[in-house]
Amino acid sequence: MHIIVCVKQVPDTTNVRINPETNTLMREGVESIMNPFDEYALEEALRLKDAHGARVTVITMGPPQADVVLREAMARGADDGVLLTDRAFAGADTLATSYAIAQAIRKLTSRADLILFGKQAIDGDTAQVGPGVSEFLNCALVTYVKSICVEGDRFTVETQMDEGVDVIEGRLPAVMTVVKEAAVPRFASLSGWMAAKKAAIPRWGAQDVGAAPEACGLNGSPTKVVKIFAPPVKTGGTRMDGREEPSAAVEQILKLLHEKGVA
Amino acid sequence: MANTAKQVIQTDILCVGAGVASLATALALLRGLKAQGRPLPRVTVVEKGRSVGSHVLSGAVIDPSGFDGLLTEEEIAKMPIEARVSSEAFHMLFDATRAMRIPWVPPMMQAHGYPVGSLTKLTQYLAQLCEREGAEVYTGFAAVELVEDAKGRVIGVRTGDKGVDREGRAKSNFTPGEEIHAKAVVLGEGACGILTDRLIAAKKLQGRREQSYAIGIKEVVEVPADEARVGEIAHTFGYPSDWSTYGGGFVYHVSPTQVMICFAYALDYAHPEKDPHTLFRQFKAHPVMAAHIQGGKSVAYGAKVIPEGGYYSVPQVVADGALIVGDGAGLVDTLRIKGVHIAMQSGRAAAATLAECLAKNDFSLAALRAYGDRLRQTEGWKQLKRVKNVRAPFSTNLVLGVMSAGCAWATHGALPFWPVPLESDHEALLPLKGGRLPPAPRVEAGPTSPDRLTDVFMSGTIHDEDQPCHLKIKDRKACDACIVRYGAPCQRFCPAEVYRLEEGHIHVDFSNCLHCKTCQIKDPYQNIEWTFPQGGDGPRYTRM
Repeated sequence: MHIIVCVKQVPDTTNVRINPETNTLMREGVESIMNPFDEYALEEALRLKDAHGARVTVITMGPPQADVVLREAMARGADDGVLLTDRAFAGADTLATSYAIAQAIRKLTSRADLILFGKQAIDGDTAQVGPGVSEFLNCALVTYVKSICVEGDRFTVETQMDEGVDVIEGRLPAVMTVVKEAAVPRFASLSGWMAAKKAAIPRWGAQDVGAAPEACGLNGSPTKVVKIFAPPVKTGGTRMDGREEPSAAVEQILKLLHEKGVA
Repeated sequence: MANTAKQVIQTDILCVGAGVASLATALALLRGLKAQGRPLPRVTVVEKGRSVGSHVLSGAVIDPSGFDGLLTEEEIAKMPIEARVSSEAFHMLFDATRAMRIPWVPPMMQAHGYPVGSLTKLTQYLAQLCEREGAEVYTGFAAVELVEDAKGRVIGVRTGDKGVDREGRAKSNFTPGEEIHAKAVVLGEGACGILTDRLIAAKKLQGRREQSYAIGIKEVVEVPADEARVGEIAHTFGYPSDWSTYGGGFVYHVSPTQVMICFAYALDYAHPEKDPHTLFRQFKAHPVMAAHIQGGKSVAYGAKVIPEGGYYSVPQVVADGALIVGDGAGLVDTLRIKGVHIAMQSGRAAAATLAECLAKNDFSLAALRAYGDRLRQTEGWKQLKRVKNVRAPFSTNLVLGVMSAGCAWATHGALPFWPVPLESDHEALLPLKGGRLPPAPRVEAGPTSPDRLTDVFMSGTIHDEDQPCHLKIKDRKACDACIVRYGAPCQRFCPAEVYRLEEGHIHVDFSNCLHCKTCQIKDPYQNIEWTFPQGGDGPRYTRM
């Protein structure tokens, strides 16, 4: 079985600040990390590898320094990685990104059994690249997957829906996007990191993957950012301090809720 | 938990902690050997922080002598430090409103032209240079134990297990720690290093005097852009410290929009109701300080202890198989509160020794001892010696401290010639019955005066909460006694609100921990043991 996991390097959004003038992210003091949802996708792949034996390949598209997320994945147990990096890819929207990744997967193998993504990336939050790749590859798609079972060329997955869990069966190959309700990601061991640091990671550009220039990067991106604005700042609300007299605070809250007609 | 380490990882030189001292060791060693055309050893650095620099906190106005000859001109120019000290001031703060600017900056405090900026960033830069020379730096791995051979020689470290739940059981992602063995281990853990202190105790390496510490609390404040103030620095003495506690602060304009503000308070303070974080807020509210951060907003926070014992507290820096470098050895000039350059000089002295050991393939204790001799020839060591007695008199009286500092400086450390005794930090605390503190002037919360938990949030600190609490309370009965006798000072000396007294019981919110080590040092019953949380946990400083 050959499993491909697509990962993205994203800014760590736990402590993000927005420049009030340009409404863009202030990068200073913000670290780059592997998109957290992709960690769950990787873990599902590694569990399948543990259970059935598989080759797990990680792919990312980004600037040259994005290779660190591939190494992190390899430190955890992925077998190899591919870095898609080229100026021609710059400015790609989700369509052009999906195209480039699909091209890379085509070059990598004629038969990928499973192609896994995180549910979405925490920077753009679009959740479109996984489905986009499935379209380009003309391959079955299951989104919001929380567990994967594979038997022969058939799979059974559970997907996390708002109203409950769906169980879906199908035939490989398939593209899946994974939610954080999946298994807890493993840690990279020190010896795993040592091996991953030394690993050779091929860098592929647009030409290497046979991507049409007009379909890459900004040229291939129909999405245009017309305006960026920050959502209006929410007022702080009302705070009840219950440290001194909790019961009084509770009564106050109940009174307030009654007044608003909530309770 | 029983460790099921697979095979042992072998390296040549292992550095524990990716701070400036360790990185200077690695860089100097690799560059030195390369320049001589000799074969390069495998140099491995392990760091408990999630990234390089995430547990590094300093001022920092950096005495650039540590870089001379180690970094090229071009590399020095490319350092991620924007400002050079352009104007200096020195203030005596009398109380919450009054102050006097000392008309001249004392010669030992002068720093004109020195780089001033974030040590976190500088450390990240040094790590990149090290990796370019072939060193391997691994972050998120805490060395939790020294490994010794049957003869008691340090031969490596063991890293901590990951994925252990609060009861100590393996979770689904349990990852056992691993052993790394090396020809020599360089301990660059920083102030109050746990493995370092264990080694010092086990091998009886203590200096003539116990180490003394101060807690340094720092914020980065974003201010409206002002190009004219870049490089402006000010140091203070006095308020909100009392007359018998060594304390002071600084404010550094490190870029047009960023100001670093810090207050350091000696941990041999006496009154259990003293609260360094509250003092820090009072300090920032002083008109002299407030003028520097007006219209600004605090955006980053951190705290760390600073070794202040100086010359007499420096341990023997060599044990069989191990060298101690940097703050872990207490190599801080206690008058200038500068240690970065000495840390680098110690690292370079260690590197020169290791290069020799590699050439002769002799890592015996006798061969490693050359590091101690080299360290004593560094400029940094001479500075330590000159101010060897500066710190202690301050614990008696500020005026005495200033006079004796002047005296020591003028006589190049000759006077006073005896080691002035200094009480140990935790014994200095007096029982509550000595009287309550008068109510402190209240400081309103504001953009440059966040409360403690807001500050903790800005430190970025985070710990997996389903793991054993890394702050071990050895004896709960001692807590009960402490609550009565001292009023549970842990609630106050902790700058991160880890300890809470609720219904007569101390709760430990270890996830707030900044790894500053104040609790272990100041607890009057020495009842708190700081152990390592899961590697990668802890503060996430990005510009401290």
